[in-house]
Amino acid sequence: MPSYTDALSSVWGRIRSSTSSRVEEVASSYGYLSYMVTRYLEMLSSWEEVIELLKAFERDLVRSIRVNTLRFGDPREVIERLEALGYSFTPVPWERYSYTVVRSGRVPLGATHEFLLGGYYLYRGLASLLPPLALRPTDSDRVLDVAAAPGGKTTHIAQLMEGRGLVVAVDVDRERFRALRSNLERMGVENVVALRMDGRLVPKVFGRFFTKALLDAPCTGEGLIQLDKSRKVKTSFDDLVRAHRLQVELLKATVEAVAPGGLVLYSTCSIAPEEDEFTVAEVLESSSRVEVVNLPLELDLLPGLSEYFRVRLPEDLRRCRRIYPHKHGMEGFFLCLLRVL
Amino acid sequence: MPPKGTVRCRLGGDELERHVTRLYGAGATRALVGYVPMYCWSSFTEVYLLREELLEAVEKVLNSGRVPYSAGLYAGRLRRSRPIFIPSHLLVERVYGVLGKYVRAFEAAEQGVRVVLYGRDLLKSSTLRCFEPLEVGEVVSVVGTDGRVYALGLSEVGSCSELEKLRAEDAVARVVFDLGWYLRGGTVARERKYRV
Repeated sequence: MPSYTDALSSVWGRIRSSTSSRVEEVASSYGYLSYMVTRYLEMLSSWEEVIELLKAFERDLVRSIRVNTLRFGDPREVIERLEALGYSFTPVPWERYSYTVVRSGRVPLGATHEFLLGGYYLYRGLASLLPPLALRPTDSDRVLDVAAAPGGKTTHIAQLMEGRGLVVAVDVDRERFRALRSNLERMGVENVVALRMDGRLVPKVFGRFFTKALLDAPCTGEGLIQLDKSRKVKTSFDDLVRAHRLQVELLKATVEAVAPGGLVLYSTCSIAPEEDEFTVAEVLESSSRVEVVNLPLELDLLPGLSEYFRVRLPEDLRRCRRIYPHKHGMEGFFLCLLRVL
Repeated sequence: MPPKGTVRCRLGGDELERHVTRLYGAGATRALVGYVPMYCWSSFTEVYLLREELLEAVEKVLNSGRVPYSAGLYAGRLRRSRPIFIPSHLLVERVYGVLGKYVRAFEAAEQGVRVVLYGRDLLKSSTLRCFEPLEVGEVVSVVGTDGRVYALGLSEVGSCSELEKLRAEDAVARVVFDLGWYLRGGTVARERKYRV
């Protein structure tokens, strides 16, 4: 039986054979590679929704901040200090430390005294807040954070653990790692061990040491077209397959580093099924150690795909969640929670 | 982490405690209670404070022949020449918390804090209050009126009374680290962390 990775070659064939003149026309009109629009039609099933998605990718993302209670015990103190600079915020209803920016102030959010004091982390979209929430780390957990830089999710996990327990943050990229170290120090995080290494080697160093793990995988960023319009044309299908292969290896290693009974949260800032459902499906198929479980999020998100270009995917993947800009007002995102058996 | 050469790390040792005692007095070591220091060295030594929950993971890393890039609370840097210890602003805030007072500090007006965050020196004209003891060339903190430490510098005066002799435009502290580094140099190697 061919693997889900192997099945991507037949997916590519079906994408090419499904590309119609309407696809070409819409792709040209919005400035996309036509294979991307063909895939959006397969994912969303109607032209109406595809157009809504493409229009949503043209809009700016909502900026938000997560107040760092490890440095400022009362979030109101930071908010009031920023309001004095002319900012206005509304609370994010599902994340108690986070606020969306309604009005900007006199000083850029990345340059205020409060930022430099580690008072908050700055986000360009809200979906990045979800993986740590879905993982539900507690102060008794040992959490592994793979591909951790620049540290938004690492510092969020540390905050949810109230600075106790253990987080091991791993990333291989030298430049991004500097940003991780800087954010950990700026935000006064003291329960993190930061390790610059290839995430695929983590089990060799730690064995099955962790109770929870987050893999916010390196991806093509197909959910972040609002932030970088070049993503409309810069990713080939071969790039997607390459990303998928790395994601599979990273996810296998992440699962391998978690003790039985533990949880692994897999996420990407991409709406590409090749990087999302196909990655999880490949790991499910190759390992009897994991199962997909429901995400503990009370948000109305869409289920993972169970079929894509006539490739049947495991039904359990419907427990994963997809986030689309036109549906949820956030960047495109994918989340899937796995339990290690 | 030191940028060049082979980095080695070890857990435990009393150097940090000795330097904290020397700078801030014996009572300041209460800020270290519950932590094990980790020293990582090559051309200089970075010091981290680790809670017990981190020790097993760090030992696994060290036993694998690797070193952590950072771990726990960053406590500061040990150097071969004066100042031989530059505490982190995080450690200094903790020390002030356990002491309940400032020592080796200048309280800066808002204008002074703004200037210091660009890496410039603290001038007498921006200094609101002074906290002993002080030694010329030794570490001193620049605190804001909000009680936060915004910079670490080297004192230009040996006592608060010497401030009287300075002109408004004279520096009272030569800044060696300020929080603006997180904006200017935190993510790229274009600026050294400590200007000493």
